[in-house]
Amino acid sequence: MPQQRFPKVEILSIAPHHFSFVLSETDTSMANALRRIMIAEVPTLAVDLVEYAENSSVLNDEYIAHRLGLIPIRYTPEGSMKGGDCHQAFLPHRECVCYDRCPRCSVEFELDVNFDKANPGRPDQEKDLPLTVTSKDLISNNLLVAPAHFLNEEEQDESHDEGISIVKLGPGQHLKLKAIARMGISKEHAKWCPVAVATYRFWPIITINEEACSMLTLEQKQELVEACPDRILELDEITGNLQAVENAFEMATFTEDLKVAQDAMKKRPEDDDFVSVVHSSDRFVFSVESTGAMDAEDILLSALRVLKDRLNYLAAEVEKLKE
Amino acid sequence: MSVNEVKIKRAETAFELRGTGPDSSRTFVLGDEDHTLGNALRHVLINDARVDFAGYCVPHPSEPVVHVRVQTAQPANNSGDEAMAGGGEGLTAVEALKEACATLSGQCDLVLAKLEEAAPEVKEDRERMERLAEEDRMNEDEEEE
Repeated sequence: MPQQRFPKVEILSIAPHHFSFVLSETDTSMANALRRIMIAEVPTLAVDLVEYAENSSVLNDEYIAHRLGLIPIRYTPEGSMKGGDCHQAFLPHRECVCYDRCPRCSVEFELDVNFDKANPGRPDQEKDLPLTVTSKDLISNNLLVAPAHFLNEEEQDESHDEGISIVKLGPGQHLKLKAIARMGISKEHAKWCPVAVATYRFWPIITINEEACSMLTLEQKQELVEACPDRILELDEITGNLQAVENAFEMATFTEDLKVAQDAMKKRPEDDDFVSVVHSSDRFVFSVESTGAMDAEDILLSALRVLKDRLNYLAAEVEKLKE
Repeated sequence: MSVNEVKIKRAETAFELRGTGPDSSRTFVLGDEDHTLGNALRHVLINDARVDFAGYCVPHPSEPVVHVRVQTAQPANNSGDEAMAGGGEGLTAVEALKEACATLSGQCDLVLAKLEEAAPEVKEDRERMERLAEEDRMNEDEEEE
């Protein structure tokens, strides 16, 4: 075996829609591969086909179909409460043996909203206002699958609607359709993307040259502290020395201002820096934010599984070659 | 299938081997792949001491094809014994790629293990899902009988 490195994972924060962790003892190529797979190749469900019975709303058919496709759809495995990986429960529809569609490869949603029928049930002050058709009106034929209406409680409290708004209906308008959701990956269309953001930063290594710093006056040190927009440095109260703030790694993004300020303070240009911030080449701070279709850590697990499957497939192809 | 179905375009070849001559140098043509796998494999191959040269390229961004080139170190006294290449001292390019795949797969397993260590609920969830899947399978078998 070539020299193996043993990657380490440290979780910084974990919530259903956001997951932040530190991946270390590995290379940028592995980190980048994970990031690319999380964005492009994790399978999710999204509306792919829409059959209209009636559409007298102000938006045309394909506009509404486009909006329906972008609604995140959540699959909750039995016995669990979280949005999970759907690749085991469904088949990609191109591989399914059924003729057109079946419960094994697709999920059907029905939507039937008629302004004139729904209006009598609304509170009086709203009766003149348009009726908003939301993702709550999509009724699924599979109990484990439903649209993700909100990301979290906060969003639900702030929103005026019951779910993701699709179209607004006025008097005499009627929308009736059947939407079929299928499994796919983001490479085919961005509607299947499970993440809003999947990104990584390099861990900053902040080294403070004590010797050089001792030659600075207190005002100069204060100037350095204020030079960085991220406030990664602070002055120690007792000794007056420069030191890095405790959670500097979270905040350090832009360090050019610091460099410019230091160059101005140096007696000669080729002197050592007082404070140097470099990127670590093997520690990465990942931040994954989900759209609501899957829980954030499940996206990472799914990405690892997809990477492994690809590698196994490649290894199998190579084996076949040898024979 | 409805007339409106979209067919996804696949690459022409899923996997191809190019290169004649000694076993130590080969170009692997991977279809339906991109920088995701190419860069990761290249990095793992480079870190192998027995590999002299490893590189990857995407010939054209519009086509989902990756070329991975591997050249392994051949010991000096192997010139007359080309028929024995791979059996004795030298590593064949094909074996180098296989080992790289296995190493990368191992790293994925390690990351998964570390993640489960850091978040025990992930592990419990996975085990619970596996148990439920097992029960389903057993129930199906019973029904068949």
